[in-house]
Amino acid sequence: MHKTHTGLNYRLYWSTWLVLLALTVTMILIGSAPIPRLYVVLLLGLAMLAKASLISGYFMHLRFERSVLVWTVGAGILLTGAILFIIIVPDGLRIMKLSRP
Amino acid sequence: MAEEQLLLSGDSPWSGGVSPFGVKWNKLMMWMFIITDALIFAGLLASYGFARLASDRWPDPAEIFHLSFLALMTFILISSSATMASAVGAARECHWTAATRFVLLTILGGLAFLGCQAYEWASLIGEGARLSSNPWGVVPFGSYFFVLTGFHGTHVLSGVVVLAITAFRSATGRSSADGIEVAGLYWHFVDLVWVFIFTLFYLI
Repeated sequence: MHKTHTGLNYRLYWSTWLVLLALTVTMILIGSAPIPRLYVVLLLGLAMLAKASLISGYFMHLRFERSVLVWTVGAGILLTGAILFIIIVPDGLRIMKLSRP
Repeated sequence: MAEEQLLLSGDSPWSGGVSPFGVKWNKLMMWMFIITDALIFAGLLASYGFARLASDRWPDPAEIFHLSFLALMTFILISSSATMASAVGAARECHWTAATRFVLLTILGGLAFLGCQAYEWASLIGEGARLSSNPWGVVPFGSYFFVLTGFHGTHVLSGVVVLAITAFRSATGRSSADGIEVAGLYWHFVDLVWVFIFTLFYLI
């Protein structure tokens, strides 16, 4: 039996909501902050992944599911996503080189 | 014969047992759908990233979009995800009236988000943005804006329809907690995708 989430109360959901809102406000502030572009991209990327983890972990209850389901979903998206990139990127880079004199 | 009995009983290590993932088949299938749908969005976002890197210049999103308006859209979608999670929690505790109300609130959030998106589309179209041309001089910018947000908006619209059916079934006592949870998974996925679009297209 996987861990049931019947016992979870609304407080968890609304705490997650608050954190997500705080992260959104932080991201908007970072986006317009006078800091180097590389740091902006890195910080926004981290905040984006944090938000995605919160939504999948708490709202989608992935944190409370069996590890085999978590791994299937995680590996399914990451591995096939990686394959997708491996196929697209070399062709993309070749086209970029061809289009520029 | 013995092997056949073993397979029927579900005792074979290759049969998967009764429920190998510890979830019902409809929830598992929703997860499988989410994985494949996530790949479609990943492909779109990857091609957008490539188009942006390959382009000599790219318009500054902060100069075209109102960030406060986008923050409002994000607030609406995150809030609707919280109400959907609460609907699942209420259904799990057999509080069907509360579950129906939370699903209806989620639908309201979805409709508000779609209204905001329609307003944003109308504003950009009013400024001359089209799939194949736009006033900012970078053709892929307009194309990716309409394709990414349009594809996501279609998902939101589908989610609203699914939730309307779920709310009706819940109100008439024909829904199960599992049914509400599966509908909720789809809705949270729509929220999850927006997190990536909001960051990668509007902020960076």
